[in-house]
Amino acid sequence: AAAGLCPCRTLLARRGGALRALCGSVRGLAAGPETHFGFQTVTEEERREKIYQVFESVAKKYDVMNDSMTLGIHRVWKDILVHKMNPSPGTLLLDVAGGTGDIAFRFINYVRSVRERQLQRKLRHHQNLSWQEISESYQEDKSKSLGDSQVVVCDINKEMLKVGKQKAQHLGYSEGLSWVLGNAEELPFDDDMFDVYTIAFGIRNVTRIDLALQEAYRVLKPGGRFLCLEFSHVNNPLLSRLYDLYSFQVIPVLGEVIAGDWKSYQYLVESIRRFPPQEELKAMIEDAGFFKVDYQNLNSGIVAIHSGFKL
Amino acid sequence: IKCHLCPPQSALHASTVLRRVSHEREPFASSSQQQFDSHPSDHQPEQEPQGPRPSYTGQGGQESEDYESEEQLQHRILTAALEFVPEHGWTAEAIAEGAKTLGLSVAAAGMFHSDGSELILHFVSQCNTKLSELLEQEQKLVQLGDAEKKPTDQFLRDAVQARLRMLIPYIDKWPQALSILLLPHNIPSSLNLLTSMIDDIWHYAGDQSTD
Repeated sequence: AAAGLCPCRTLLARRGGALRALCGSVRGLAAGPETHFGFQTVTEEERREKIYQVFESVAKKYDVMNDSMTLGIHRVWKDILVHKMNPSPGTLLLDVAGGTGDIAFRFINYVRSVRERQLQRKLRHHQNLSWQEISESYQEDKSKSLGDSQVVVCDINKEMLKVGKQKAQHLGYSEGLSWVLGNAEELPFDDDMFDVYTIAFGIRNVTRIDLALQEAYRVLKPGGRFLCLEFSHVNNPLLSRLYDLYSFQVIPVLGEVIAGDWKSYQYLVESIRRFPPQEELKAMIEDAGFFKVDYQNLNSGIVAIHSGFKL
Repeated sequence: IKCHLCPPQSALHASTVLRRVSHEREPFASSSQQQFDSHPSDHQPEQEPQGPRPSYTGQGGQESEDYESEEQLQHRILTAALEFVPEHGWTAEAIAEGAKTLGLSVAAAGMFHSDGSELILHFVSQCNTKLSELLEQEQKLVQLGDAEKKPTDQFLRDAVQARLRMLIPYIDKWPQALSILLLPHNIPSSLNLLTSMIDDIWHYAGDQSTD
């Protein structure tokens, strides 16, 4: 294990210029604009391929790894995201990079409970109706347990979608859910379609974030909301050191032990470091045309929720 | 409403009584946003085109001059939402319905606090603005000689009554509104609204003091 950990340290030490120059010269003949894959420099095309392979290999163990890496806290983060969204029945949600469906299922649960409360409130006001009218209202409400809300889960990776569909079947989610294969940089949807667009722990893996943001703007209805949940930069120096330690020492090891895949989780940790910090992402979202852009740090910046409106 | 205002021995005495009356009925009815305070005759722009909204985002999300600001849009949404308050209460649902009538997505309600407090504050400041205008008109009539100047207690009674009548359409849900305004994070704004309204009323009642 010690031997395996050393590369991490050297990577950290030479994060500046040397390593990148080395990689760059090796791939000197590669065509296309350069970008990063973790701490390596690759072309955009290569990056997309590599990321596809990463998620293809982790798909089956994705949820297990999430739980073990974040000690289950990722569930709370996702709950907070849906709570912040506060969807009302009738909302149309597009969950991009939604792979295994975590956000989609939470959305459905939330909308169902809001709908139930609404129905209860309505019934309370119907105390003096005849039995006929009451039974009629029961019938029409039963068919609308979700109140016309719908969620479309879009992911670029077939394996992740497969896992998601299996999970949905297993957990009993059937109505109001669709699965679409698509690229966040070029969404297969019409303009002005969705009420809310979410991307949870996915935008980090998009090669051209600006394109994804523009697509998000395009497919949202006027008044629609953009929500992004992503790892971000920790502002507390002590926590930052502990976090780095945990990320580079523990997570790849967990990856090897649980999923048998060191490299993918090495990529995960490096990609978090390469991702723009809160303010920069906020500026990028504003550039795409969103208004009232704001972010909320969770756990001192380990994770941040960015929100913007298409007005 | 029977306000038992004894003939005021002094302005101070009357103001205490007035505060007590208002406190019983509507502790939190003062104008909120600064713009309403300084421009009592400023109405939210009502003549926005209702068709497909033009795309008005330039580089870096700058706003062009002939396009309404975010704040104006928010005011429009809140005004539209008032219609749905009797049905949904002072909640994010009412705001969502309001946004829908303007052709926006229901997600636009996410711009506001989920407890509905902004909707209530908006309503209250709207009422206060209306009251100020009413009082101003009355004052103009008196100055032109078309009406008689009312004695102070009568004036105060009428002003408070007019203000309270504005609550009538929402009276079923008003207790809910009051309880939300009582929440600690809302108290500064609601108290601010209340005190400005009282100042306004006293100003039109002829109180010249600088306090």
